[in-house]
Amino acid sequence: MSALFAVKWLAAFSPIFVVLVLMIFKNWSGSRAGAAGWFTALIAASLFFGAHPTLLAYSQMKGILLSLNVLYIIWAALLLYNIVNETGAIKAIGIGIERFSGDKSIQILIFGWIFASFLQGVAGYGVPIAVVAPLLVSLGFSPVVAVAVPAIGHSWSVTFGSMGASFQTLMAVTGYDYFYLAPWSAGLLGIAAFLCGIFCVHVFGGWKMVKHSFPAILIIGIAMSGTQYILAVSGMWTLGGFGASLVGFVSGLLVAKLKRYNQTKPSTATSEMSLGWALSAYFILIVIVSAGVMIPWVKEFLGQVTLTFAFPEIVSLKGWVVEAGKGKAINVFGHGGALLLYSSILSFLVYQSRGFYKSGSLKTIIQKTIKSGVPTSLGIVSMVCFAMIMDHCQMIYTLAQGISMVFGSFYPLISPWIGLLGAFMTGSNTNSNVVFGVLQQETAQLAGLSTALILAAQTTGGALGSMIAPAKILVGCSTVGLAGREGPVLKATLRYGLIITGIIGILTIVFSFFG
Amino acid sequence: MNEFLKKYSARLKSLALILMLAIPFMLYQTAMYGSKFQVNLFLGLFMANMLFVMKKG
Repeated sequence: MSALFAVKWLAAFSPIFVVLVLMIFKNWSGSRAGAAGWFTALIAASLFFGAHPTLLAYSQMKGILLSLNVLYIIWAALLLYNIVNETGAIKAIGIGIERFSGDKSIQILIFGWIFASFLQGVAGYGVPIAVVAPLLVSLGFSPVVAVAVPAIGHSWSVTFGSMGASFQTLMAVTGYDYFYLAPWSAGLLGIAAFLCGIFCVHVFGGWKMVKHSFPAILIIGIAMSGTQYILAVSGMWTLGGFGASLVGFVSGLLVAKLKRYNQTKPSTATSEMSLGWALSAYFILIVIVSAGVMIPWVKEFLGQVTLTFAFPEIVSLKGWVVEAGKGKAINVFGHGGALLLYSSILSFLVYQSRGFYKSGSLKTIIQKTIKSGVPTSLGIVSMVCFAMIMDHCQMIYTLAQGISMVFGSFYPLISPWIGLLGAFMTGSNTNSNVVFGVLQQETAQLAGLSTALILAAQTTGGALGSMIAPAKILVGCSTVGLAGREGPVLKATLRYGLIITGIIGILTIVFSFFG
Repeated sequence: MNEFLKKYSARLKSLALILMLAIPFMLYQTAMYGSKFQVNLFLGLFMANMLFVMKKG
């Protein structure tokens, strides 16, 4: 490796380094750190990677299209949360669950692991964290734990969640079919499911609580990862995350009845609102999202209007070519955010018809939504925009190239880290697969490794990246009053994200030795 | 100045978000028309907006 390449690699890494240091050690908000990362990326791209004004113009527009896809979800999720919260339903849900099971580890597993995975299965884009975090706060968990738990708990189901969008992307960019990619992918993600369950509990109660909840994690984990594997390898990979979490729900409710988990007396507290009415907004959400995603004619009807822009071929001054194509399309009426919006409006009408709102509640709901939404959105847009600068100037590719050069024959150990890096940068498993899928495929072929295994490690790393992606953390923090104070959450999830990715890397290299 | 920024902080952040979302559309249009001056102008505005976010976001 030449000294020049090392300098270029460090320059490419500098925006990530700046964001991490500012958020973790200086407690900067996501928006401020994102803007600082944007300037760092701009300087590095201009000095070392041949960025020019036209390239920056197109890359920023692509960044905005990607951001709008995420912001659509976030604003709708915040609106739904405030609509529910204004009625006192969140408090009622907390009391209701405490009456069902007083065991904190079961509450964490049901909400943070299973329900978050279910929401990932049907919606994605940060919805699991945005919806579950306030529910956990209502159960008495601290805001940091409440965001960290669903962030960790849902990440294993990202690849096969959102109707398998990330897996579909991996197949599209590499040209392989599901029967080649699915077994290893579902296998590694299945292992990740257990690890996510364990660390979900650990983030709250340490190893003592992990020991207590281990039988539950084992039973639910086998049910969820087994279902995902069967669905994925039998061609129903679009339902992998959704089906797995449904089976997880059933097994979770059965496990909660075990004597081991009924030693803590359930709470006797009562609330003015019944649990059924309190949960009605989430029932509406499940019905609308399931219909919008799974019923073909509804999906087709809602998907008639899409917003997209065509981009020409972009060449950097150093010769890096980004092919012409369309930017990220926004499905205006069928998008996950639109489905959340429909759920929000219907929930508001239902609660209002039952007289759960005081006068002036609508104004309060809108004000609270804007107050949380603006700083979160600033952070997401600035981070996605600097990731787009990096992508268009070969910076992300240089990072991955450097990692693969250093690790040589130990490449399988590092392949999930590359997936993780992509998801960290872009906040998306899908984007990570777009950016690094082909690189991983080519490197595996050159090294004579199993391409299916390396690509499985890529998408597993990309899925796990969801728990540390600032874009996702920002979403969760905005719903629990931690907007602008995301550092402690990132610090917590980063630790677990790195451990799980490390374990997946070790398993990948072990599996590669055995062919 | 600091008092003004403090008093209108929420509104200024909202404005910064709107600009952050709107300026790239202008950048795209001007880049498609090949107007280098306008691309540079809007990039300058985008940078100024980012600077505000970095300071007060």
